[in-house]
Amino acid sequence: MTPMLAVPFGPSRSGESARVTVGDPSAHPWRTMWLWTLLLLFPLACLALSLGIGRLAVPPDHVAGILLARWLPIEPRWTEIEARVVEFVRLPRSVLALLVGASLGMAGAALQGVLRNPLVGPQIVGVSSGAAFGGALAILLGAADAGVMAAAFLTGLGSVVVVHGLARVDGAARPLTLVLAGVVVSAFAGALTSLVSWLADPQSTLAAIVYWLMGSVAAASFDEVGLCATSAILGGGLLLLLAFRIDLLSLGDADAAALGVPIEPVRWAVLAAVALLVAGTVAVAGVVGWVGLAVPHLARFLVGPTHGRLLPASALLGGGFLLLVDCAARTLTAAELPLGMLTALVGAPVFALLLRRGVRAGSLA
Amino acid sequence: MALDAPVRRVVAIPIPSASMLVAVSGGTERLAAMNHLAKTAILEGVLGEFFPAARAIPSDVAGDGFVPNVEAILARRPDLVLQWGDRGPDIVRPLTEVGLPVLLLRYGTEDLARDWISMLGIATGERERAERLLEWRAAIAGRLTAANADLSETARPKVLYFLRFLAGQQVAGRDTYNDFVIRLAGGRNAAAELQGFKPVGPEQVLVMDPDVILLNGFEEALEPRHVLQHPVLRATRAARTGRVYKMPLGGYRWDPPSQESPLAWLWLASLLHPERVTVDLRATIAELYGWLYGRTPSAGQLDRILRLSIQGDAPGYAPFNG
Repeated sequence: MTPMLAVPFGPSRSGESARVTVGDPSAHPWRTMWLWTLLLLFPLACLALSLGIGRLAVPPDHVAGILLARWLPIEPRWTEIEARVVEFVRLPRSVLALLVGASLGMAGAALQGVLRNPLVGPQIVGVSSGAAFGGALAILLGAADAGVMAAAFLTGLGSVVVVHGLARVDGAARPLTLVLAGVVVSAFAGALTSLVSWLADPQSTLAAIVYWLMGSVAAASFDEVGLCATSAILGGGLLLLLAFRIDLLSLGDADAAALGVPIEPVRWAVLAAVALLVAGTVAVAGVVGWVGLAVPHLARFLVGPTHGRLLPASALLGGGFLLLVDCAARTLTAAELPLGMLTALVGAPVFALLLRRGVRAGSLA
Repeated sequence: MALDAPVRRVVAIPIPSASMLVAVSGGTERLAAMNHLAKTAILEGVLGEFFPAARAIPSDVAGDGFVPNVEAILARRPDLVLQWGDRGPDIVRPLTEVGLPVLLLRYGTEDLARDWISMLGIATGERERAERLLEWRAAIAGRLTAANADLSETARPKVLYFLRFLAGQQVAGRDTYNDFVIRLAGGRNAAAELQGFKPVGPEQVLVMDPDVILLNGFEEALEPRHVLQHPVLRATRAARTGRVYKMPLGGYRWDPPSQESPLAWLWLASLLHPERVTVDLRATIAELYGWLYGRTPSAGQLDRILRLSIQGDAPGYAPFNG
């Protein structure tokens, strides 16, 4: 039986990838331009929508005025409350949702390429659960926001190191063993998170941990935006620099090595970048699942499997997608809906649909 | 369940039940063991200072999710075990299977709190104390209802209670005990459109625009300044007028139902309607503690119960200053 993990997942040697990527636009320059224009406009449109809607009715011209008044001499016609909502609630929250979605989209795309497995995401390889454990522990210990962020960073990175260490045999880590090691580390980190919850006072810290684990950007601040932006720029930048090498890695280790790619260092660098991206999102928004799994599939469908295009497309789609979901989370009812729940409700069926198409097209075993 | 004689050795698993047992039975002598969280609740409040012996009471009788540790419980040879009655049979069956007498308690409303007091009064043979406590409870509720009877809806300040604030904001909607207290004290719940305890975002809180904000007593680090200096919430009417208060912590936290609930009602009512409800709260606390716990709180203890160090200067708080 051919293991599913052995299925080449990326630009293939024989052009098979056209079956997955019916939208591969390389042959149509005009179409390429239109596609990228739309991809760029999508998160921007979502951002405009997100800034414009909310529980407090703020007229669109007031929203625009409040935002532009920082740079332009505009006579304020809005109330102080409107200004506070737009500036301190909607703006940081929308930008944070954008950054979290973009980070997760890129992290997922890079993971799927480097592990040659269409069914992995940050949650599968242990990064999310590792970071979640660190954050929960920090909440239990009464740490402030910065402590939660630092702990999530450290344990997120730590779990990747452990996953990689577990999977290494004779100086190399096979994709299948990497995924299995991720499952092991995820389970262990999950147990540690359960232990933290067990230790937490049900009347105080437990509820905070549970809410944080469900995922939310409701308490977004500019500090969190700064932190997530830093991890997004560093992690995302590194992935973009490595995009071509990820392409080669996704051909398989033997072919990549034959083409002169230093397999282990590159895979390490990609995993570290992914850990940075995911830990940044977990620290500020808790565990938001499915974005990193489902969004790269949609992006691959639109722009093809080449990571130089796939990574930015996943970032743009992921950012816009999470912004839309967060708009729903904060406006559908007077109470906040958990973001992680909504991304799963939307992401899982979308992923199922894409998976089904892939199977029909014969590109997924 | 029938008890042959007043119980002498009680194992208390539900968190508020330990301090309520102390109140109804007048001391910690009958508390054979308790949940470690119940012990924390006792030790962090004034009861820990009143009854230093409580520190030595074992707290190893329940684990995760109030699952009883049957062997530890049996080792304490209790004649009664108090356990939650509304959290499923899995946390009860292990107790009944080994033949332990169990009193199941449900929680969260004023009626249920009154039931606790009567049941514990019967079990401990302290019916009279329990009845006196219930009468006092009913008298204060009656007094507040009468004082606020002619209040129009608009004359009731909009009050918002935060069950959580520091990590994920959660407020009390309708059908919560806090909704009942807000109403009784002459307010109206700013979050009445929500059902139960629900997470909200700061924008939603601005839309609710409460006149008064109450902060929970569970999050130790939480203080009114967190609202007063919050970049968004400081635009609420409550923050602009400084009417942001943290719930006091006496023999038990004052936000959920307890033996001390009427003190919390009086505290809130005098903050909302000082012209209608005048009360010497410090004297009332001292009087209640005198017969409930057999101790007289010092001025310093009263200051800590009412949290004067963080809100002594808040509007309406002058009558509570010693």
